[in-house]
Amino acid sequence: MSVVVSPIREPLIEGGKTYHQITEDICSPTEKAPNFAWVLAFTLSSIFLGLFLFTVAWTIWFGIGTWNLNRTIGWGWDITNFVWWIGIGHAGTLISAILLLFRQRWRTGVNRAAEAMTIFAVMCAGQFPLIHMGRLWLAFFIFPYPNTRGPLWVNFNSPLLWDVFAISTYFTVSVLFWYTGLVPDLATLRDRSKGIRRKLYNIFSFGWTGAAKHWQRFESLSLVLAGLSTPLVLSVHTIVSFDFATSVIPGWHTTIFPPYFVAGAIFSGFAMVQTLMLITRKVLKLEEYITLQHIDSMNKVILVTGTIVGVAYLTELFIAWYSGYLYEQYAFYNRVLGPYWWSYVGMMACNVLSPQVFWSRKIRRSITWTFAMSIFVNIGMWFERFVIIATTLARDYLPSSWSYYVPTWVEIGIFLGTLGLFFTLFLIFTRVAPVVAVAEVKSILKAAGDQYTGPNAAKHHHHHTAVAAQTGAH
Amino acid sequence: MEEKFVFDSKKRWVLGSGMILGLLCMLITFFKDDELHTRFWTNYLHNTVFFVGIALMSLFILAAFTTAFAGWSTLIKRVWEAYALFLVPGLVLLLVLIIGVWGHWHHLYHWADAEAVKTDKVMFGKSGFLNKYWYTFGTIIVVGAWIYFAQRIRKYSVEEDANGPGEDFSYHRKIRTLSVIFLPIAGFSSAAMVWQWVMSLDAHWYSTLFAWYSGSSWFLAAIALTILLIIYLKAQGYMPKVTANHLHDLGKYLFGISVFWTYLWFSQYMLIWYANVGEETIYFRERLDNYKPLFFLNLLFNFVAPFFVLMRNDTKRKVGTMVFASIVVFVGHWLDFFLMVKPGARLTALEAMAHHAGEVHDAASHGSGLPFAMGFSFPGLLELGTMFGFLCLFLYMAFTQLAKASLVPKNDPYLEESLHHHVV
Amino acid sequence: MKQEKEVLYGLYDDEEILLGAVKAAKAEHLEIMDVFTPFPVHGLDEALELEESRLHIAGFIYGAIGTLTAFLFMTWVFTRDWPIIFGGKPYWSVPAFIPITFELTVLFSAIGMTVSFFTVCGMAPGRTNPTLDDRITDDKFCIAFDAAGAGEDMLNRLRSFFSQTGASEVHLKTI
Repeated sequence: MSVVVSPIREPLIEGGKTYHQITEDICSPTEKAPNFAWVLAFTLSSIFLGLFLFTVAWTIWFGIGTWNLNRTIGWGWDITNFVWWIGIGHAGTLISAILLLFRQRWRTGVNRAAEAMTIFAVMCAGQFPLIHMGRLWLAFFIFPYPNTRGPLWVNFNSPLLWDVFAISTYFTVSVLFWYTGLVPDLATLRDRSKGIRRKLYNIFSFGWTGAAKHWQRFESLSLVLAGLSTPLVLSVHTIVSFDFATSVIPGWHTTIFPPYFVAGAIFSGFAMVQTLMLITRKVLKLEEYITLQHIDSMNKVILVTGTIVGVAYLTELFIAWYSGYLYEQYAFYNRVLGPYWWSYVGMMACNVLSPQVFWSRKIRRSITWTFAMSIFVNIGMWFERFVIIATTLARDYLPSSWSYYVPTWVEIGIFLGTLGLFFTLFLIFTRVAPVVAVAEVKSILKAAGDQYTGPNAAKHHHHHTAVAAQTGAH
Repeated sequence: MEEKFVFDSKKRWVLGSGMILGLLCMLITFFKDDELHTRFWTNYLHNTVFFVGIALMSLFILAAFTTAFAGWSTLIKRVWEAYALFLVPGLVLLLVLIIGVWGHWHHLYHWADAEAVKTDKVMFGKSGFLNKYWYTFGTIIVVGAWIYFAQRIRKYSVEEDANGPGEDFSYHRKIRTLSVIFLPIAGFSSAAMVWQWVMSLDAHWYSTLFAWYSGSSWFLAAIALTILLIIYLKAQGYMPKVTANHLHDLGKYLFGISVFWTYLWFSQYMLIWYANVGEETIYFRERLDNYKPLFFLNLLFNFVAPFFVLMRNDTKRKVGTMVFASIVVFVGHWLDFFLMVKPGARLTALEAMAHHAGEVHDAASHGSGLPFAMGFSFPGLLELGTMFGFLCLFLYMAFTQLAKASLVPKNDPYLEESLHHHVV
Repeated sequence: MKQEKEVLYGLYDDEEILLGAVKAAKAEHLEIMDVFTPFPVHGLDEALELEESRLHIAGFIYGAIGTLTAFLFMTWVFTRDWPIIFGGKPYWSVPAFIPITFELTVLFSAIGMTVSFFTVCGMAPGRTNPTLDDRITDDKFCIAFDAAGAGEDMLNRLRSFFSQTGASEVHLKTI
């Protein structure tokens, strides 16, 4: 084979797969009736989706007064959830784009599902600013269009408007990237099916044939989209951080926010990918494609980004002291030791301390540990946003306005509801499209299949020749 | 696969002359200088920090690539090993600065002036960190730790050459363990050191992003110098197996991290501009008022030029364009550090000299309208000469190390991948 | 609609055998109509001597249009059409325009390139392009020759080419 692979590398596809087996293994879950686990999960998430619709309807009917926001705490759970979801949405593009540019082969096992997850997470995130507007039907006011009000334009200098552009661009580009990558795999599904399924997949696969010229353009497109998505993914959470950092509020106005938000986003995004992939590989029996090696690599990313986030937390604390600026110092004193101290402790424990267990290779390769840690990290990253938003607003410049914010059942319901929305969409996705990128996995088979590389390579080769000799004898 | 680099007498002579030229420039600067020798000391600090940073980032690249299973770069890793070992002479250079703080040889740091700290509330508040003890022991311990990692990684790498990859690639696994431990240590400690060495020159000012920003600047200088050295070695007939494909990947780093640097530059500038808090904007106000050409040259050299030159794939594979881009980026980041170092130190010196002369003066009253001063408002020939001297010293040390081991790490487990590296 | 075409194609089981066959075809000066594969095969572009795709150049142009659109539009709105001072900043606040300018650059480039890609490949939602074999999107690698008007001699020559280069199946099909 023309691909030279170092003997020190671990295989990424196990079970000595052939191309046909790859197609079979990854496509067949979409062709069979769903199993009980899927039905149960789908029912559960639909119930939560119902809760989402109900609490959102409640908010719109009775108004934002049903939330516990008040004069100083204008942003509470809504923006916390918004930032949390947007952050989760970063892993997909990161895996697809940055790891593609860095030529990390392990991305092929998880990129498709991660990209889908990105899209669903951004959809969940997008709900919150919209609902928070109160009069949802006037949401189109956020776009600059010629109007009869003056014409009065939107404020292009406002980070909130930058957010509108950043998130809609991110959503669009993620969909394009994901769907273009999906087209050849949908064609595979098309060519395997008959009747109405074939007609449907024919519509969605756009008439893909697999011609050499098309593949060449396809690769060129993927590479440029990856190149565009890389700064894009950085810009999205950067602009989210600008929502806070352009202000003069102590604890919000700090220059490290852009890269620190991005690192945190990657961190939480990978945790969510772990949560999803651990379940998916089990339920859809894809353990040979999403291997311990993949899980190990992702845990390393979690360790690295968790540590970067830790460096940023300490930098913030240190510079707050170093600045010699009284209000800045108080803001951080209040974060750590104020009334919301428990959320700061939760954030530090989940985001900085607990990921350090991943220094152990054994734990990085343990399914149980990884699953528990992925939940931990997501809780920790939620706390981080809560710490930044609520604790800062609860103690602003005017002590007479200080208060303590607790969410209402409506706010909690909306948050739980977006989890329902997210999982419902993801579960539908696992039924209609291959959750692992079929063509891409095939393209790395000879570089990363366990019959070609790693400790079992020699054994497998032997096995294959033996089989060949037998069939030859017949 | 063994390939020996010969550090012959001609190279020694050329680099030695360069060092003497640099020394000469420094001497001229010293004697032409003001009473505090501000120009001399700022030049010394600027170049020391810049080249120590390049050595640190070379070690960082080595550690990060090992950790991330990068295979393509194996053929050039000896260059980074050699660069990283410049930390040893780098520490000696830093010791001069440290002794200078104790002996009051220079007046670079406002916070080192005990009298000023007494009356200045802000600096007094920071004196728990900005003091000569932290400066001394922080530098020695942190740079000492970096040296430890640089030498250990180098040791195993060379032993791997001599003894083979070892049982289950034991040498590579040792290097990987060291790399993994080094990365978080470098993350914390480089920030602390750059606050001490550079950010504290503007003793009142602070920015949480500063360490990451200056780190990316060092990183780019290191990549640019790597590209230049490799092209030079290839021109000398060394490294025949390093192809346009390796150059292409280095070019991608030069391009990508330049964009990242711009991102950090913008984040820092825009946030400070937007919020318009006086204590913070003073930093950019000062630079825009008195150092305008440098302020924009910084963006031109470090963003516009590499972005447009390296955007296309083919320019990353051509020697000519890569040399051009690397020189521009290298000089650009040298200018970037120039702009980080000079304005703050200059104000400190002006205030001190005014104080000596018995005038009541404070730095802020200089505000806009500092007169043009060669070596401060813009780097003069003496600055370029000094930089050249430091560069020659850096290369002299690097060549000495390169000559000590094979240019090709012949038993590295990723060597084959690097030999067959092909950019799609 | 497209005209009907007669195609002689061979299926290979492995991309390395396919690559060898493509090179052999080039050496024998056989004019390959097209090659179909289940995944992008490394080295096939060079073997087929395909021209480099110009898609990325189009992407750059789309992106530049996005940059100009965003920047000039915001400039026009805030300096000509409806100048307002926000937060004591000048009307023409370049740093504040950068984020949206960047986003629109990416948006225009991505949408433009994707639409161009599907257009030049002759693809669209619901479009049915003729395919030679359902297994091409699974595990077969296909070389196709235009057989319209080819004489028996030519067909035989092609068939022997397929058998010599290790094709597992050879078919004649009208699409």
